[in-house]
Amino acid sequence: MRDDPIANVLDDLMRLDDILACMVARRNMISVMPASEGFKPEVNQIWDNIHRAMDDVFGVIAAYSQIGLGEMEFRLQDYEVLFYIFPDTENALVAIVPALANKGLLEVEIENARREILKILENPTQKHGSQKKDDEVYVTA
Amino acid sequence: MELKVETAVGMSRKWDAREAGREVAETVIQNLTRPPDFFLLFSTIHYEKYGGFQEFLNGVWDVLPKETPLIGGTVAGFINNYGCFSRGASALAVSYPSMDIAIGVGKNTKRNPNRAAKQCADMIQSGLKESAYKNKFLLNFISGPVMPSIPGVGQKKYIRSGFISNFALQALGLSQALVQKGLGREDEIFEETAKQLPDYQMILGTSMDDYKGMRNYQFYNDKLLTNAVVNLGIATDLSLNVYTTHGMKETDLHFTITKLGAGNHAICKINDKPAVPELLRILKWPEGFLTEETMIHTILYYPISLKRHGREVPVVMPMIMKDYIIIPCVIDDGEVSILTVSGKDLINAVKENLHYFDGMQPEFGLFSACMTILQTLGHKTNILQEELHHYFKDKSFLLFYSAGEGTYSPSKNITYANMSFNTAIFGNSKK
Repeated sequence: MRDDPIANVLDDLMRLDDILACMVARRNMISVMPASEGFKPEVNQIWDNIHRAMDDVFGVIAAYSQIGLGEMEFRLQDYEVLFYIFPDTENALVAIVPALANKGLLEVEIENARREILKILENPTQKHGSQKKDDEVYVTA
Repeated sequence: MELKVETAVGMSRKWDAREAGREVAETVIQNLTRPPDFFLLFSTIHYEKYGGFQEFLNGVWDVLPKETPLIGGTVAGFINNYGCFSRGASALAVSYPSMDIAIGVGKNTKRNPNRAAKQCADMIQSGLKESAYKNKFLLNFISGPVMPSIPGVGQKKYIRSGFISNFALQALGLSQALVQKGLGREDEIFEETAKQLPDYQMILGTSMDDYKGMRNYQFYNDKLLTNAVVNLGIATDLSLNVYTTHGMKETDLHFTITKLGAGNHAICKINDKPAVPELLRILKWPEGFLTEETMIHTILYYPISLKRHGREVPVVMPMIMKDYIIIPCVIDDGEVSILTVSGKDLINAVKENLHYFDGMQPEFGLFSACMTILQTLGHKTNILQEELHHYFKDKSFLLFYSAGEGTYSPSKNITYANMSFNTAIFGNSKK
């Protein structure tokens, strides 16, 4: 699990204060969880309900992702669940955040994570952002 | 042989403060053949928890050549050649022989903004007084607002209690003077700076955290500061220009401010009636509609066009205290228009802004934009990145999100606006 580059991307997301949980999932299946960072404890109390609702949302995603459904979200009690769908698939990057979080800022990093995961899926043998070593640097202008 | 302009944008997404500092400097240095003439450094607030900002700066100075002029600070997020980010660090560095540089610093901005502005402007003035170059630019980067915590309430955008609101309004000035918590007063500093350095083209930005308004830091060489203004002054033979756009549109809704408070930072009465109930009536919003939760989805889309010394000042209403509307800058009373803005308008404002620079062959660009744009557009802020990338192609650019921004030029005077997009582009005029 620790060598899974997608799990490392999720680890990065989990380090943000307002990301309470994140995963790559589809209906009835969580495909990848964060490698070293567990979900934040406050999610546990509502996890069963959120999980059930998520499965219903994945039904909608399965029906509409082929015609361009890109994102979905729902609010349950004091939490919001954001689905960033991988194009033309039934899979999504899912993040659970507090209802009053500064969602705009979080969205930027969730989208960066989705893009990074897409790159990993397209080129599974290459090294990706979260796995970079100290001597590897970003491209510059 | 004529030496060309060399620019580099540095970037780090590492979590450890020292490692991130090193990486952001390394990614710059490796792409320059000469030492940089200045180093602009912006970071999100996250390194506070992962080693601290002094360690972050130490990491930068592990790599950056000594004596490189460096200023910057914490911001809500940034856009550069590689994407949009609300976590990480980025830098813009330039090396160009036909360019003189000076940096300045002024302290206690919330307590005594004018003195801080003069202190900082003096350093630029004396640093560039021998320069033979006529085109002058200034980045005026100022500590942004820090919300005071109200006993029993905490740090809120909406306060329902009349008693607490009255108390908070009275205490606002005291809080700024004693503990330097409150509004950033960047508008006052910018006005004073423009007065001190009238022949410069300027861009204003403010230092922030992750939209919470609880703390922010400024960088000045190897020093970590709070409640400071830092300036970067450039004199060069490159062409340069600054421009502000905001995309806000006037509606047919108007009112008159009849009473101001808190040093002209609060609208107390509109049309001779308590401000908030009257605003709700004008907007046809039900009583009790505004709450901590609805504020962010509603009122931010209805900015108001205020006046300051005869200039239009379009701003958002970031904080409601029962019947009072708190305004982020000093304003005058009188006629006010209610404006409206959509995500599409914001994106069009960027296009319009870049269109203004069609006659320029850019070498590099620096931007300040309102963090409410980031909050509003979310990941669609990538559309802005695509627009910028299309304009700059392989040339370096860096946009940082702040809370109070604007531009000044001798021909256009001061433009201070919220929800705005402020550009400084350096290059050569197209022939």
